[in-house]
Amino acid sequence: MASVRYALVAVVAATLHADVPALIQAQCGGCHGGSAKMSGLDASSRAALLQGGSRGPAVVPGRSADSLLYQAIARTGDLKMPPGKKALSAADVKAVKEWIDQGAPWQAGAADAAAREAATWWSFRKPVKTKPPHDRANPVDAFLDTAAPAAPRQALIRRLSYDLHGLPPDPAEVEAFANDTDPGAYTKLVNRMLESPRYGERWGRMWLDIVRYADTGGYETDHYFANAWRYRDYVIRSFNSDKPYDVFVKEQIAADEIWPDDFDLDGSYVLPKSKEENLERRLGTALYTLGAMPVEFSFFGEQFRAEWQAEAVDMTGAAFLGLSLGCARCHDHKFDPISQRDYYRLSAIFAGSEDREIPITSQMRIFEYTRHQTRQVIADQLREQYKHLRPGDKDARETLLRKIGDAYVKAPEMYEKANLLVHRVPVPDTYVLGGGDWQRRGEKVEPGFPAALGAGPAIAEPVGTAWFIPRRRKALAEWIASPDHPLTARVMVNRVWQGHFGEGLVATPNDFGRQGEKPSNPELLDWLAVELMEHGWSLKHLHRVILESKAYRSTRDPMRLDADSLRDAVLAAAGALNTKMFGPPVAVRLSEDERDGMRDMSQWPVHPDAREHDRRSVYLFVKRSFRLPMMETFDAPDSSQSCARREVSTVAPQALTLMNSEWMVEQAERFAARIESSKDPVEAAWRIAFGRAPSAEERGKAREVASRHGLPRLCLLIFNMSEFVYVD
Amino acid sequence: MSIDAASFSRRQLFRSALGFPALAAAALTNPLAPRQPHFKATAKNVIFLFMHGGPSHLETFDPKPELNRLHGKPVPASFGKVQLQFSKFEEQPIIGCRRTFSRYGQSGMEISDLFPHTARHADKLAVIRSMYHDGFTHTAALNFLNNGWPRLGRPSLGSWVVYGLGSECDNLPAFVVLLEGGIKCGPPAYSAGFLPAVYQGTTLRNGPAPILNLKPPPGMTGADQRDLLDSLRWFNERHAGQHPAQSALEARIASYELAFRMQAAAPDLADISKETKATRDLYGLDNGTTADFGGRCLMARRLVERGVRFVQVWSGSTTGGGDWDGHKQCDANHKKMAGKTDQPVAALLADLESRGLLDSTLVIWGGEFGRTPTSDGGLNGGGDPEGRDHNPYGFTLWMAGGGVKGGRVIGRTDEIGLRAIEDPVHVHDFHATILSLLGMDHTRLTYPFQGRDFRLTDVHGDTALFDKLRA
Repeated sequence: MASVRYALVAVVAATLHADVPALIQAQCGGCHGGSAKMSGLDASSRAALLQGGSRGPAVVPGRSADSLLYQAIARTGDLKMPPGKKALSAADVKAVKEWIDQGAPWQAGAADAAAREAATWWSFRKPVKTKPPHDRANPVDAFLDTAAPAAPRQALIRRLSYDLHGLPPDPAEVEAFANDTDPGAYTKLVNRMLESPRYGERWGRMWLDIVRYADTGGYETDHYFANAWRYRDYVIRSFNSDKPYDVFVKEQIAADEIWPDDFDLDGSYVLPKSKEENLERRLGTALYTLGAMPVEFSFFGEQFRAEWQAEAVDMTGAAFLGLSLGCARCHDHKFDPISQRDYYRLSAIFAGSEDREIPITSQMRIFEYTRHQTRQVIADQLREQYKHLRPGDKDARETLLRKIGDAYVKAPEMYEKANLLVHRVPVPDTYVLGGGDWQRRGEKVEPGFPAALGAGPAIAEPVGTAWFIPRRRKALAEWIASPDHPLTARVMVNRVWQGHFGEGLVATPNDFGRQGEKPSNPELLDWLAVELMEHGWSLKHLHRVILESKAYRSTRDPMRLDADSLRDAVLAAAGALNTKMFGPPVAVRLSEDERDGMRDMSQWPVHPDAREHDRRSVYLFVKRSFRLPMMETFDAPDSSQSCARREVSTVAPQALTLMNSEWMVEQAERFAARIESSKDPVEAAWRIAFGRAPSAEERGKAREVASRHGLPRLCLLIFNMSEFVYVD
Repeated sequence: MSIDAASFSRRQLFRSALGFPALAAAALTNPLAPRQPHFKATAKNVIFLFMHGGPSHLETFDPKPELNRLHGKPVPASFGKVQLQFSKFEEQPIIGCRRTFSRYGQSGMEISDLFPHTARHADKLAVIRSMYHDGFTHTAALNFLNNGWPRLGRPSLGSWVVYGLGSECDNLPAFVVLLEGGIKCGPPAYSAGFLPAVYQGTTLRNGPAPILNLKPPPGMTGADQRDLLDSLRWFNERHAGQHPAQSALEARIASYELAFRMQAAAPDLADISKETKATRDLYGLDNGTTADFGGRCLMARRLVERGVRFVQVWSGSTTGGGDWDGHKQCDANHKKMAGKTDQPVAALLADLESRGLLDSTLVIWGGEFGRTPTSDGGLNGGGDPEGRDHNPYGFTLWMAGGGVKGGRVIGRTDEIGLRAIEDPVHVHDFHATILSLLGMDHTRLTYPFQGRDFRLTDVHGDTALFDKLRA
């Protein structure tokens, strides 16, 4: 009879205080739940509360006064919870008291319900194409019925040029486009611009922001990543060749597992094409070798691996899934249906992988180096002699220096290498880590995917075979780059949209979860996502669809150039831009003032060839502990973590930079030299800088400035004009 | 505008511009407009005297006679183990302290003979002997102290303060950093992290051009520049007129005027010729040992006088002159560093007080961690038997002014100064307390980034220290 009565009470209670378990989870779960069980107490289930922790049972059903939980929250005894000043409200305390007195009923399945609810979140469902509300030729316009008038042609080509190339259009091109009466002129222009190598530099830069690209590791060591630039170049080539986005994703996550190339001796002399292609693909995996790594406080192999795997998971979440998985490293995600266990299952995917510097060339090339390595021996011996020279022995010093220089020049050039992901066997086990701390091992987990995002492919690995190669990342890559994945295409479509309109259809490009913004036009986002996949994941196709729309071609508020485009635009206007592509990063000259705060100038190897200093910003040295002051002032990202959208600030130091810096003054002089011999320098300047002719008034004012201050000062002024820095 | 309004991200402001153009325009025009704190503040400004490298608490403010008794002996097993960067704690002997501690002021606070000048202000100091965190390397610890997080990417303390309170100075940056040279963690120590760049620290150099790109180009006179700026304004106003909805264009025009005012104000700021001989002597400007740090302390006072919100003065650098990182000959190292800084620090306290600025200016002294009671490497390894390793588990910082009641010692480390054991103050608590003194609730000073509202104090921070400092 007693049990029946108890059950009845519980049913009643469930209707009265059904929310108490959730209250306990919310208030106590942070410290007493999941892997964090302070004082041994787990508050995540009724059974665990009844069992209690080191102080004894937390809940004695039916007896609130004897329940530690109640004593602690009511603050009747020594134990006062939650810790600190913030007590629960009287109403909550009363609810918990009544709930305990009623037998502490725990509605099973409450957590499952939350997971089910989360699984219905818009971005976790596959996108589908729906019929647009308007009947328009361009699908974007069919969803967005734009009322704004069309932008003037001169403004349009300037906009297009900055959007696709990050550079101003050539004045002759502006002229030609403005006068082209062919109805297909715009389409031709878009196609031509998409085929230019400048496109990959611009959009590659966008991707490099997302993957926190840098040439050094950050922190105190801030060690140089000698091969990072190969990844940067790979990204630029990938965009230029319109590599299908799903392939781009697969290569970065798992090229080595999907297109293995290192188990044969084929290619000893000349690399066969297939192997060369696979090596190119493998450069993508360098993504996981570029993070900001605190090596100086990750002494232990296991600790370093824990940090590295966490960075890999966070990077994957941010870049490909548009999810902030990092929260789940220490606890179940508070907002998204990603449990801490899910996080470590993802982390286990990277457990068999590590960063290693490997040759990416033929055996012959390596032999060639090693054969002549003897010459290096001579250089080293001479250097040793040099170190032991007596001070003051000037002649001997100079002779030796000459010999060293000679030996160095004759020494063989190092063969091509890259830092890529490779495998290590045996694959270490992965555990849930309490609070993300590598020393607090919890449950052992197997690699897998977050349940809320749909099951991934099976990760079937042979066990105990001699040639066992992990296939974990391959499974991850195929899961993410699958047309069935609800996030992949949407996230990338949104990035492309943001690149053209300044703001994405989802305003939080790296957060498609519950904390993120909902899409402003979900049907359009989904339509474009499906369109992308239906067209072989071609980003250039996606660009064309968007760029052909009336929505894109309409007048709009001007947008400020980002730091890279601004610097490149100044060089382009000055006629000084060096369009050389690829290669090791370039450290440019710094002014005396700019060196402030640099830890050690020897870590900033200024390129001896001044022409290199005029290269596009994407090729400049990205040092995590020191951003180029001009880039920093104009909101370039700090490369510590993924940057999905740059800030646009307007501050006085920007004005000081553009008006006063040595570099700007130099470019203004070059700009002036470029136009001074023109028939009408003011006209020429306007066409180069703004893609239009000056009005009569502007012409008058500009001539006044030039006559009072000289042409270089007028050019400096042009660089400072809002019209130069902003694009319509 | 309240701080809560300010805690909207720019993204939100941009989008809300459709509905609330006035708010958006105000924020875009001047994100540094002064803002009311959450509650009544006792401090308006902060001067953080940062001792780069990690000064030993054992040689300065936390006397441990037990060290001399145990000198050369292993650490008693009862102290357990800690993780250090260079030495193996359990294998190193304890080393004694050569300093003499005396009692100062009405409170009788014990201060070592390294700081005879500062000691005269003992009754102004609230010495916190129970600081702790767990970042035992410089960068982790520097990031912790400066950004509230051992890794990269978070905004600095100064950035949060300026984001919360705005600026009361319209011709100088709101957050100024006075470096001695390079620092181990580099600019992240004063970066705005994910906050808009307007909140980042500006480094000020010694000499006539204290701010980067402040001087007009060679050959351009002040009149030339004014004329050029007027012409620029003419062009920019026409452009802005064609785009009335884009308020950033107006902000841009205003930013050139601010830049021009900064150019005008900075030489006056840098010109210390009008300071009296007494002031020069107070800071030790004519003494080769103290002139460098003294000059920066004087500059800090001049900045605060002009309404600059947050000033950080660094002692020690990686690019010459050394720092407080006493791995070798800790005692000798500290004698040198204290010699450079003691008189200027005392001068700053006295000077602020005599000008009535100390009540509203919170002065903080300390480094990224303290040092170990044990040797840096006597028995094995390449360390120096007379050096001390990094110790983040228990160390000392002090505060003065800004509503802090002085002449008191808060917290305690164990008998050998290894760990904070009484009233421990974590870095998060320390930050929460600084914000409280400035009238801000550390749980409400937030900024949305990557899907959540971030705080200086992450999800931690306790203000028990705040109550103690004012009691």
